[in-house]
Parts: sequence; structure tokens; C-alpha cells
Amino acid sequence: MIEVSGLSKRFGEVQALSNVTFTVPKGQIVGFLGANGAGKTTTMDIMCGCIGADEGSVKISGFDITEQPIEAKRRLGYLPDIPPLHLEMRVADFITYSAKIHRLASASIPKKVSEVIELLSLGDVRGRIIGNLSKGFRQRVALAQAIVHDPEVLVLDEPTEGLDPNQILHIRDLIKSLAGQHTIILSSHILSEVQNTCDHIIIIHKGSIVQQGTKEELSSHLQSEHLYRLRVGANSSKLASVLTAVPGVTMANIINQDDHELEFGIGRDNELQLVVETVARQVLDGGYGLREISAKTRSLEEVFFQVTQ
Amino acid sequence: MSPVMTIAWRDIRSYFASPKGAAIFFFFLGFMSLFFYLFIMTYMEYAQRAASMGGEGVSLEQLIRAFFDNIYFILLLVVPAVTMSSFSEERRNQTLRLLQTSPVTAMQIVAGKFIAAVSVLAFVLACSAVYPLFIKMYGNPDIGVIWTSYLGVLLLMSAQVAFGLWVSSMTNNQFLAFLFTMFGLFLLLILNYYAPNMASGGIWESVVKYIAAKEHLDTFFKGILTVADVTYFICFVAVFLFFTNIVLDSQRWR
Repeated sequence: MIEVSGLSKRFGEVQALSNVTFTVPKGQIVGFLGANGAGKTTTMDIMCGCIGADEGSVKISGFDITEQPIEAKRRLGYLPDIPPLHLEMRVADFITYSAKIHRLASASIPKKVSEVIELLSLGDVRGRIIGNLSKGFRQRVALAQAIVHDPEVLVLDEPTEGLDPNQILHIRDLIKSLAGQHTIILSSHILSEVQNTCDHIIIIHKGSIVQQGTKEELSSHLQSEHLYRLRVGANSSKLASVLTAVPGVTMANIINQDDHELEFGIGRDNELQLVVETVARQVLDGGYGLREISAKTRSLEEVFFQVTQ
Repeated sequence: MSPVMTIAWRDIRSYFASPKGAAIFFFFLGFMSLFFYLFIMTYMEYAQRAASMGGEGVSLEQLIRAFFDNIYFILLLVVPAVTMSSFSEERRNQTLRLLQTSPVTAMQIVAGKFIAAVSVLAFVLACSAVYPLFIKMYGNPDIGVIWTSYLGVLLLMSAQVAFGLWVSSMTNNQFLAFLFTMFGLFLLLILNYYAPNMASGGIWESVVKYIAAKEHLDTFFKGILTVADVTYFICFVAVFLFFTNIVLDSQRWR
């Protein structure tokens, strides 16, 4: 649905993007994660036809954004980082204008505008001038212009920026509800947002994609070992030294002495199940009292810090 | 509604939704009233002098000519004030991105902006008809000259708008857009006076004089309508709208 291949862009001396390639399958929500200045907005601007790339191509639903811009843009809804709002216009008028400019059939415009206003809870402000609204409302009006024409592809650049926690949850739920019929790519520098909303994550750093995959794939890919959490009834310090002697276990540490909680690692080359069973047997045979044993995944934050340093 | 008219209609409403539209009306008609009053006073003074001392007073045609010449000078200030925001403001507010990511061509955007600015100015110009009507009430002017003069001013204004849009498309600073447009339009006005200095005779002087708008406008003010002069203004509009289109479109490959 979105095919980005080999994008490169230079602004003077600064190489903003280099060889950015990714694909977003139909109906998925993909998170574009990167620090400020990593190249997220530049990529999105190129994807939406605002600026050109030095190299590479972007296809929206099979239409090249530079070769067939009209066809591609018909299928595209874009919420830029700075909301593109005409502040002197009234909310409903602005959304109607956006629908017209996106070539929605005239007969369906009033119904579509009302639907979007209801979807984004803008009913109370539909007759108000945009310039008089709070930042949260403005952001929702900007989102309304991006979705009013029911685009196949939605590009959202930091959609929850400047919203209060309730509004953030509302917008996240809305974005999730739009997946399936829409293919969505959203950029953010907020890890939890990407983690909670997206099926697939792309991490961009200094203009290049450094990692991409599902959250689980990213976590496991970056680990040199599988981590496990273990909680026993007693004697955790002795168990830690016993576990380090188990073949395949790379390390064992006590996390919480009072709670007798440990973590241990198993090398990626080992037969995972076998080593876990051996560890469990050691715990049971040693009379430590097995309370809990579970796989531990790295948080997205850890992955992000690791790949962007 | 076509995308061109959607863009134009939004821009027209925007001019009147802000104090900008009112300010343009106020200054244009305010200046016009002031100058018209001064012209009438001068006309009366000459007429009285001619009546008491003999000789010829100022003709009504000369009064009308002065009125339309005056519009040219006022447009030097009013046109840049209208066109300066066309693209500069949209660029600064990031609303240009809305148009750039919509399924409309750069030419449709340019045409929409052009129609909006010309419509606003044509509306202001139409209001200025009150002054020739005033002359018609108390005198017997040549209506044909008034019509051709208005057509000339409308064409001139369209050409000035096209130039202003081109300047506005190149900057996100409205003040710079205003300043450069005014400078350019002023240059266009004085070009035929400076033609002999810029090119001493020969074909180059003719070329410079041809580029100057004043020369072409004068034929309209004389009540003469020629294809050559209409073509000059249409070409001027087409060239600068094309330049604006290039500036907008160039962002896709810059």
C-alpha cells in the first residue's frame, strides 16, 4: 500500500535522508520512531509530495507520488507536524473546504463532514472560528481534514503532539479504529505512543533506517541472549551461583533480594526449552520453592536507545 | 465546484473575514475620494477662471483621464497589499501543505489564487464607479472612454496581480512580498519614461517601451481598444502565472 524505496535527500551540506526503504502493507499501522531531527518529517513530506527527493521513489496504492501525483494524492490524507489550518475559518467550513479540495463528491460532503465532526467530538465547536480554539481542538480539526475524504493511506506526523492525556487516549483509540480500512503511518518521538498504537515499528536515526519489525521482533533481534525472570521461595543468592553453572545459562543476577527474584540469560545458540527445563529442575531439586518463571522481553525504550546510540 | 473555484472562493472569503478586505476598501476608496475631490475642485477653479477671464477650461475628458491615471498610482499600493499574502502567508502558516498534498495541480492552485485576488480588486474597482457616475450626473462625458478605461484598468490590475503572485510565491515574508511587488510595479510604470535613457534609440528603446504598461494603458484611456494592447496584458498575465506555476511546482523536484 505504501512503498518507499531508496529515498535520499540532502539540504545543503546536511544529508537529511539516505537510502530510506520500507513498505507498509494494507491495513497496518506503522510507527515511525526517531529522535527530533532524525528525518521523520522530511520522509513524510516527500511521501506526500510536499518536497521532492534527490533519489528514490514513493508509491501510494501503486501510484508514484511524482509521476502520478493526482492519483496518489486522491488516496492520501496527511496531518503535518504543524497543523495546516486556516485560522480565520469556522470548523465546519474548513472541513468542508478540505473535503472539496480532496475532490469528494459534492453530494456526499455534508454527510461526511458531519460524520467526521462526530467521530472527533467536534460537535460543540463546529461553528466556532479555528483561531479561537485550544491547541487540542485545533489538532483534532487538522486530523479531521486528513480523514474527511476517507483516504486509503493516512500519514500522521506526531498526531498527539500538544494534547492532554485524555485527548491522547482518544486520538490513539481513533487511530487504532481506523486501521484495517486505512493504511496508517504515524511518526512520533514518544516511545509509548508507538508501542501502544502500532503493529510494526520503523526506527530512523540520522536519516537512515536502523531497525524495523514488530515490537517483539525488534526486542528479540537486539538481544544477544534470551532473558528470563525467576521467583523462588527462599535462598536466592545460593541459587544464582548454582544457575551460572548450568550449561547454556550465560548469567544469573538477583533483582530483588527480599522477594527472591532473579533474572537469568540463555545464549541464543542453545536449545531454549531444554535449558529452561534444566533450570526449573535445579530449582525444584534444590528445594528453593519455584514460584514463577517467565520470559522477559526488552522494552522498546531499551531497543531505541541501543540502536540510536 | 472545480478545485480552482474552491480555492478562489476560500481566498475571497478569507479577504473579507479579516480586516484586510475592509482595509483595502478603506484605503482605495478613501484615496479615490480625496483625489476625486481635489480634481473636481481644480476643474471648477479652471472652469470659473475660463468663464471670467476667457480661454479654455479643463475638459471633462481630461478630468476622467486624470481620474483613471490616478487609479494606476493607487493600484501600486493596493495590488501588493492584496497579493502579498496569497502564497507567503500560506507558506508561513504551513497551510500551503494542505494544497500541496491535495489532488490539485500547481496550475489550479495558481489559477484559484489569481481569480480570488482579481475578484477582490474588481469588486473594489466596481465601487469606484461612483465617481464617473457622479460626473455623468452633472456633465456629459464620453461613456465609451469610461468603459474602455475601466477595461484597461482591469487588464492592468490582472497583470499586476499575476506579477504580485509570482513575487509572493517566492517568499514566506509578506512584507518582502509587498515591497518587491510594489518596486516591480513602479518600475513597470516608469519604464517608458526611462526607455530613452536605458536604450538610446533603435529597436531596444522600442522593446523597453513595449514592455512598459503605461504605453498600452494610454490607448484604453483614449477610448481606443486594440487587439495588440489587449494581447499585451493577456501575455503579461500568462507569463507571470506560468512563472508562479514553476515556482510552486519546483518544490516537487527541489
